[in-house]
Amino acid sequence: MIVGLAMLGAGAGAGLFGSLLGLGGGTLIVPLLTLGFGLPLRDAVGVSLVAVIVTSSASASVFLQRHAANLRLGMTLELFTATGAIVGGIVAFALDVRLLAGLFAALLVYVGLSMVLRRGAPPAEAEGIAAAADDDPPAAGAALDDTAREGPGQGVAARLSGPGYRVHRLGAGVAGSVFAGVVSALLGIGGGTVKVPLMHLAMGVPLRVATATSNLMMGVTASASAVIYLLRGGIDPYVAGPTAIGVFVGASIGSRVVHRIDLRVLRLLFTVVLLYTAFQMARKALG
Amino acid sequence: MSQAARTPLAGDALDAALARLLAIGTFAGVGLLAIGVGLMAVAGRSPLDPKAPFDLGRLPVDVMAGRPEGVLWLGLLVVIATPSARVAASLAGFAMAGERAMVAVSAAILLVIAVGVIIGTALGESAA
Repeated sequence: MIVGLAMLGAGAGAGLFGSLLGLGGGTLIVPLLTLGFGLPLRDAVGVSLVAVIVTSSASASVFLQRHAANLRLGMTLELFTATGAIVGGIVAFALDVRLLAGLFAALLVYVGLSMVLRRGAPPAEAEGIAAAADDDPPAAGAALDDTAREGPGQGVAARLSGPGYRVHRLGAGVAGSVFAGVVSALLGIGGGTVKVPLMHLAMGVPLRVATATSNLMMGVTASASAVIYLLRGGIDPYVAGPTAIGVFVGASIGSRVVHRIDLRVLRLLFTVVLLYTAFQMARKALG
Repeated sequence: MSQAARTPLAGDALDAALARLLAIGTFAGVGLLAIGVGLMAVAGRSPLDPKAPFDLGRLPVDVMAGRPEGVLWLGLLVVIATPSARVAASLAGFAMAGERAMVAVSAAILLVIAVGVIIGTALGESAA
């Protein structure tokens, strides 16, 4: 049972720090389970997808209650993230595990460097279970009256727009969503790293709305691939149980204390941890 | 359909209903997982024990017998099904509000997930 408690604690740590640093649980759970507990990488990804669904459902509930997420835009895009997730779920079982480890190492390097370069910006992957939504402007060049770049899908885009902003470049959103779904299924992450910049910078959605909408989408995206992992024997209930509970508790605590903590030192410390973990994953990739 | 033309059900009320559904699904799923972990402790099971295979036919028996794997699988199913339940509820809400485009989107999402279930079942357990 000591291992069970350790797994619960590891999940809580991943949820807490994931919430504080805006990484989402998945980025930390997969290396924790593979490097810390010796779990096969694919099983770790399956467990991570379960944790992503738990945190997404909990946070999406809060975001919907506060009307912070754009339900119509999120559902339109999650049609494509779910499609990508099905493809990724199938491909994940066909790929060499060492290649998956290499991809994960690349993800960790990207996330680590993004954390160093980020200057006080809100987290991209997950804002936490009780994150508040407030008003913020759309990305530069994405104002309500900006119609110069609208294409033939402007009628659909207009229907998906929200108060104070107009959605555009729906085609880019669709392509990016498929990519986010594939990445989510392959690596067991929520995919906010792709979806939030996509919605904010390319589609003109305000950052807070993009973050909330991305959280809403993660549940369906992860569940589409989790179904494949489950039916293909890629989810271990004895590992998923304690880990998912830990992540849920940790993320809940993190979202309540995030505004009271100076994250600069923590971010720097975690960048070092992520880069070291990336090195270990790269070693795994190289056999 | 413009914001102004939406009925209350497809606007704030739908958001609130979906929020409640997600909260109930999350707490039910996590609650079942917590019971399952408690049963693991009582039965002396370790997370590093051999994986318990998923067998839908055995699930009711395992749950009724209080076996940890049964309760854990039930919790995992609730967790995994919660987002799909949100989509199904959205479909109903959009249908009642007459938002045909969003009804089609919701139905398409459920279809994609159903395709995933069919593919996963057809491929069966991975040998890897």
